[in-house]
Amino acid sequence: MPAVPFLAIPCLVAILVGGAIFWTFPEALPFWRSLGIVLGWGGCGLLLASLLLMVREARLARWLGGLERMYRWHHGTGVVAYLCLLAHPLALAAGAWEESPRLAWQTLSPWSESWPVWAGWGSLLLLMAGLAATFRRGLGYRIWRGLHGLLGVAVLVGLGHLVLLGLSAPILAALILAVAFLGWRLVRVDFGSAARPYTVAAVRPVARDMVEIALTPLAEPIAAQVGQFVLVAFLRGEHFRGCGEFHPFTLSAVDPPGRLRIGVKALGDCTRHIQAIEPGVAVRVQGSFGVFLDAAVAAPQFWIAGGIGITPFLAALRGGMPAQSIRLLYLYRHDADAAFVDELQAIAAQEPGLTLRLQATGDGIPDLRQWLPEAADLVGHECYLCGPPALVAALRPLLEERGLAGRHLHFESFDFR
Amino acid sequence: MMRRLAYFATVTFWLLVLAFWAGGRLAPPPAPAAAVERGIALAEVARHDQPEDCWMVIRGGVYDVGAYLPEHPSRPALVLPWCGKEASEAYATKGKGKPHSAAADALLEEYRIGRVEP
Repeated sequence: MPAVPFLAIPCLVAILVGGAIFWTFPEALPFWRSLGIVLGWGGCGLLLASLLLMVREARLARWLGGLERMYRWHHGTGVVAYLCLLAHPLALAAGAWEESPRLAWQTLSPWSESWPVWAGWGSLLLLMAGLAATFRRGLGYRIWRGLHGLLGVAVLVGLGHLVLLGLSAPILAALILAVAFLGWRLVRVDFGSAARPYTVAAVRPVARDMVEIALTPLAEPIAAQVGQFVLVAFLRGEHFRGCGEFHPFTLSAVDPPGRLRIGVKALGDCTRHIQAIEPGVAVRVQGSFGVFLDAAVAAPQFWIAGGIGITPFLAALRGGMPAQSIRLLYLYRHDADAAFVDELQAIAAQEPGLTLRLQATGDGIPDLRQWLPEAADLVGHECYLCGPPALVAALRPLLEERGLAGRHLHFESFDFR
Repeated sequence: MMRRLAYFATVTFWLLVLAFWAGGRLAPPPAPAAAVERGIALAEVARHDQPEDCWMVIRGGVYDVGAYLPEHPSRPALVLPWCGKEASEAYATKGKGKPHSAAADALLEEYRIGRVEP
């Protein structure tokens, strides 16, 4: 990754957190009181950074090193902000403890009939509820998304806590930034104003519970490259009503002029419903995002695809055979789950630089070692992984054993929860 | 890891809140005010108008709140102007005209040093 995107997010976080603390740094106050104030403002700065990092804007994502990296930092800054904000009232109470334990509890007590204290407690409780839901596995996406939204409400209530303590320039600045970031996210992403209109041009089943959908732009198309993904919301057609939510889909082809193809596997309620989509359905497309194949170099490459993870590699092959020699290992459960097999075999037959291995893994947890080349065969290779998170997690240590680690290993998780 | 960190921090937070609550409940109550209070003239109160030496007159009582001011939730700029002055109205109308809570009233009494003399 270039140095500028690599440093962009740390610099952004440092500016927001450092700026908040520097601007409000207490003078001539006791240690615990000062610490409490610094923790409160540090948490506020981190929350602002976390809010900005959840804005899915293609240009911003490119500038910050990719959407996946933004989401990793969004989670990290959010959790560290939570820790700071939990410690904030405790430090204030600890400062009052020397005066008297009664005063310490009075500082902390939610029964003190004070709006600033109530707002502070309200914000903390909303943060707790929102984070508990965020970390809860197995929740349906819609429910998860609604509960995750509590964190946005928590930020607003927390800013209310600051305003009730007395409006000052730093508080006004924090308020403006928070409303701007939340509004940017709501209007551009959730309400879809950043999306471009497309229509479904063609649909074809390519495997069990998987279709490939061709999308034709109705206006200026988005700029997309192979290896990237887009966020797509399917709306209405003559006989089809989409769920209207934006979901990430990897491009399986980028066809001129501006036509896109995506692979959709039935992994949830919405994507299962999409299996029955028809041509003519209105679509909104945001993006494009991702830097998965951006780092592709002249070195020989080892591509490993799991299930629907074949799509970025297929897009690269459809876009023209790269000059490097490529080993492609395509893993799927059963033959019925193998998508694009005929096309892949046809490309491999024409391209001597491509070595294709198709492998059904069956149900259960397979021993992946048996399908990986020996370390000697992978010397000097760059490895690209795309597939279910469990498969990627299982493959990483095995590839590291074979000398493919760190910067030689490339993958994206596509986990935007 | 982040999930574990958040759960650990949340549990620790509630345990410390519980400890502060227990400390506040178990602490001895403030000593009762002297039977006969010292009378303090407004002129003397006016001499204590600094952040570290701050007296206020509230509802006829004189309070030495210098030690408490660093703990006050509002910004100092909202409270300090009332040092050395009659502050009953300000005390009764903080935050959009809403008076301080009963708990705040009880806390205030711990800082009482006398009654104002006309």
